[in-house]
Amino acid sequence: MNAKPRSDSSIPSLGGEVKLVAVIDVGSTSIRLSIAEMDQDGTIRNRDRLSQAVNLGKDTFTVGEIRKSTIEDCVQILKKYRRVLDEYQIENLDQIRVVATSAVREAINKLDFLDRIYSATRFEIDPIDEAEVNRITYLGIQEFLKSNDTVSNRHSLIVEVGGGSTELLYVDKRDVIEAHSYRLGSIRLWETFEASGASEEHFREILETQIRRILSQMTQLVIPGDKMNLIAMGGDIRFAASQIGIKNNKNEPSIIQTSKLDRFINKIIGRSVDQIVQKFQLSYPDAESIVPSLLAYYMIAKEYNIEEILVAEVNMRDGLQKELLLEHGWTEDFKKQVIRSAMALGKKFAFEKSHAKYVAQKSLQIFEALQDEHQLSSRYALLLYVSAILHEIGHFVGSGSHHKHSMYLINNSEIFGLSKKDLMIVALTARYHRRATPKPGHPGYSSLDRESRIAVSKLSAILRLADSLDRSYSQRIETIDCHLDNDKLIISIPNVNDISLEQLALRQRGQLFEQIFGLKVLLRKKRSLGEMNQ
Amino acid sequence: MNKPTSDFINRELSWLEFNQRVLDEALDTSIPLLERMMFLAITALNMDEFFMVRVGGLQLLQEQKVVSKDPSGMTATEQLEAIKTRTHQMVEEQYRCFLDDLEPALSEAGLKRVRAEEMTDYQVKYVQNYFEDEIYSVLTPMSIMKKEDFPLLANQSLNICVQLSPDDKKPESEEEPQPRFAIIPLANSVSRIITLPTEGGYQYILLEDLISFMINHFFPGQKIIESVPFRITRNADIKLQEDQASDLLAEMQILLDARKISSCVRLEISDSVTTKTKAFLKNILEIKENRIYPMPGPLHLGDFMSLKNLSGFEKLKYESWPPQQSPQIDPSKSMFDLISEGDLFLFHPYQSYEPVVRMIEEAANDPDVLAIKQTLYRTSSDSPIVQALIQAAENGIAVTVIVELKARFDEARNINWAKNMEQSGVQVIYGVKRFKTHAKICAIIRREPQGIQRYVHFGTGNYNEKTAGLYSDASLFTCKEEFGLDASTFFNTITGYSDPQKFKKIDMAPISLRKNILDLIQGEIERKRQGQKAFIKAKLNSLVDPKIIKAFYKASQLGVKIKLNIRGICCLKPGIKGLSDNITVTSIIDRYLEHSRIIYFHHGGEELVYISSADWMPRNLDRRVELLVPVEDQEIKQLMIKILDTYFEDTLKVQILQPDGTYERAKLAKNEKPVQSQLKLYREFSQMAKIAKKSRRGVFETYQANPDT
Repeated sequence: MNAKPRSDSSIPSLGGEVKLVAVIDVGSTSIRLSIAEMDQDGTIRNRDRLSQAVNLGKDTFTVGEIRKSTIEDCVQILKKYRRVLDEYQIENLDQIRVVATSAVREAINKLDFLDRIYSATRFEIDPIDEAEVNRITYLGIQEFLKSNDTVSNRHSLIVEVGGGSTELLYVDKRDVIEAHSYRLGSIRLWETFEASGASEEHFREILETQIRRILSQMTQLVIPGDKMNLIAMGGDIRFAASQIGIKNNKNEPSIIQTSKLDRFINKIIGRSVDQIVQKFQLSYPDAESIVPSLLAYYMIAKEYNIEEILVAEVNMRDGLQKELLLEHGWTEDFKKQVIRSAMALGKKFAFEKSHAKYVAQKSLQIFEALQDEHQLSSRYALLLYVSAILHEIGHFVGSGSHHKHSMYLINNSEIFGLSKKDLMIVALTARYHRRATPKPGHPGYSSLDRESRIAVSKLSAILRLADSLDRSYSQRIETIDCHLDNDKLIISIPNVNDISLEQLALRQRGQLFEQIFGLKVLLRKKRSLGEMNQ
Repeated sequence: MNKPTSDFINRELSWLEFNQRVLDEALDTSIPLLERMMFLAITALNMDEFFMVRVGGLQLLQEQKVVSKDPSGMTATEQLEAIKTRTHQMVEEQYRCFLDDLEPALSEAGLKRVRAEEMTDYQVKYVQNYFEDEIYSVLTPMSIMKKEDFPLLANQSLNICVQLSPDDKKPESEEEPQPRFAIIPLANSVSRIITLPTEGGYQYILLEDLISFMINHFFPGQKIIESVPFRITRNADIKLQEDQASDLLAEMQILLDARKISSCVRLEISDSVTTKTKAFLKNILEIKENRIYPMPGPLHLGDFMSLKNLSGFEKLKYESWPPQQSPQIDPSKSMFDLISEGDLFLFHPYQSYEPVVRMIEEAANDPDVLAIKQTLYRTSSDSPIVQALIQAAENGIAVTVIVELKARFDEARNINWAKNMEQSGVQVIYGVKRFKTHAKICAIIRREPQGIQRYVHFGTGNYNEKTAGLYSDASLFTCKEEFGLDASTFFNTITGYSDPQKFKKIDMAPISLRKNILDLIQGEIERKRQGQKAFIKAKLNSLVDPKIIKAFYKASQLGVKIKLNIRGICCLKPGIKGLSDNITVTSIIDRYLEHSRIIYFHHGGEELVYISSADWMPRNLDRRVELLVPVEDQEIKQLMIKILDTYFEDTLKVQILQPDGTYERAKLAKNEKPVQSQLKLYREFSQMAKIAKKSRRGVFETYQANPDT
């Protein structure tokens, strides 16, 4: 940047009260930057939005890796974005989030790409996985679901067809029932056609075959039913909405009639990419993706008998912004969705619901009591809660090493909102709820970074305590009271006469806790007031 | 003047009619003399540019044997022929105005051009000294023996061709002795108008007359047959090879050099020239007879513009119309505070340009300002705006300036101030590839307690406080969020930081501007069809774009009333039965150059008003970055409609376009008082300022302790 740094005396006297955040989304057809801040009343306002076309998707989905020239294009774009951030004086790490989706995630030279970008631009790109995308998408669409009555009365299928993948969320009112990511993307489709070497006239046919394959997977997850909304997100469908959408009211979403979409696709399918660029002022990558992507939306709408597609003016960046502005965006609403999803998984593997819930609640209570000791963020409280819910699902496979089965099942499931890494933490915490304590050689554990490894140890130590409290599986210890006394954690239990079973359990499993926290655990009967007076 | 079959007026001929209207002002005896001289000088300067750019281009087409026709149905050759006829007629009228009208009158008023033979002895003595001291050492005559000796003459510079009697040292030659020639290029550093000592009034002699008078000093002992001034105009329509140019600055330099040597499109020469000298120049410049313009008086009438700067002749000039303060602008408040209170509008030069400069100056010294972004077109290093931007950069504000190097004749000057800014840390972006940036926009990004706030100025004129005193232009200030976002999107797009994004409020050429205008015209058509009231009013500098003209014809045919006020070129034919009955086109030439673009659509009573940087020409809509900005504030909108209507009320300075492409003055009924729109606007804005001042004076202002200290 040409501008010289300000001297201290000229540091803005005002400002600083409003947090300004920047989100960069390295997608398969474009790199987008969006800058936002939150008003006093909590509404998020976009302050700037930039976009530049890139060929990331084209590279990854054809040759499997990102070409050198494309990497340099990205460097140039991100250097410019860095300048924009400098202009806004957005410098702190907690103001910036840079994510990449499938095109980067799946590239063979992902690490080279990330390193090159970091060394040239100081941007640390986070290649987020499918579950994370789902989670962020949900964050982004929450407001939309809240503010549209017509939407919230029915089940909604929320779909975003991207360049490399299609995100699907199925919600009942605002609760997530299913979330999944499919390898269906406009660039992938385009490349499949290119690779087939077929002539133009088979274009639609080839795309349709591909889309239908994914559709059959979708309909297994979400069975087409009556009265379902289709909420479409994404740049391509927004473009279609600008051409053929109807808006009844300024504050309502655009509506595209499915039949109209079909006509629109037919209109542009015969045009060359150049003609599309000319006619609609689109970038080349966007012009290539438009037909495959619209066709995918259309076929999904058809499959689910939907006559009108609602187009949400939201995107992943909205979710990312929200997350940054709300300090990671783990809102109560969002946590509820994660827990719902975990409960659904538990049910699938016939967990003992009351025990699971009990252990989860007690874990949380101990976690909160020990806040000063473990210093973990509330995100880990949620992960602990989820592992407590799922810690015994391994019984579904067999009782022998059920903790190991639990780990395996969790690791290979999808829990809404949890990334692969989150899932690994949950799985390991569940694994270590009994028997062996974490060892460097254990599979999974060794793959985690140091912070996560320590978290797993702390969380599993807590989980062991909570689990010991329900050794009887009868939830007879209704309430507990935790407090610290020098080097002791004292758990007082009122109104229970005999706690020897729990004390025994604790002796067997409490070692890890002592080791990790350096605290002895004492389980005490809490005397009632009457007893004390005697 | 046009082939009657076409629905369009030829743009070159329409331009010549515009120049005629300026010339009409020079001929208007009700205007003060020096102002008339100014109009005359403008016609000459206009003509220079016209030849350089338009005629040069047409000649190239002709040479390349391109036979395609323009929308009016004329080939390049036909156009050149028509231009020649019209131009000769105009030149004749220019000199009649100068020699028979203005000079005698000015002389009577005490401002006299003295011919060499008219000088007094004292004046002769004076000029002899002047010649020795100031001229002799600066000018170098060059003897021309063969073609290769001929010097490279600068475009549109004045030169003297001297014919010397044949060398009689070669008696053995049998051929008839040939005259010899020398060329004296007149350097720009020497003043054209040389003040003579005089006892009363002001007297001057022209440089070329003085040199002719002293010509023997250059050629001692030789016999001089004649010394005659001439001037050449070169083709400036040379395209920038932008796609190959990695460094625009360097390429620009090459282009400027190329312009110096490009082919000669016009030779102006004193009509006193002998056949021999003329033949010599014609041969050596390789110029066709039909490109030679013999002039019955001094060449380059544009130079006489400087007479207006003489002091002591105030009676020969317009009475001054000082710019007024806008009642909306309280000088005690910062521009940011004022804009936060609501959108602001200024109409220059009736209203002062100072608030625009003030906004940028305040921004430059404001610690909460993060960035300033603006376009700059024609300006200079000493401009307070450039100074403020430099100051801002030095204060650590991120300043981005889009400088248009393709601004036709200012390139040489543009390069310098742009370099100055770069050195102070301003990020200077030299235009957009393939497009000329013509939009006038300045955005200031400021961090405020409630968050990021953008203050935007949209204008119709360049950021040049000097021309802001002479051109009628509109300024609109706003800090409304959507306009701020649009401004950001605009700069992100043209600086190459982002691909084009959708705008919320404004439209930009070459992306969506024409389409939106066509949609709005179509909107009026639809309303008319449904039996609603429908009309369009617009004030522009030029209307050439065939697509828009056709849309107007269609609208007219369906009964939409269209009133256009177009200062310059208009290719639309108004008032033709079945085609354009409902369209009227007027043009106003007066003391201020009409430059603002204001567009009005009735829109079913909603009344949409826009300001724009764009004229409706294909080049502006396809190859320039331009803006169309809606005016939303109701009060401002009503004021702008009032301004627009004032132009349509004019009966004094207006000329009305006829179906055949000619213009006629308005006919006044008996006893009807003529309306002069510019005077009316001046009075109205003065009145507004006066009322505001009075109401402000009514309140006793008390001194208050500054809460900040």
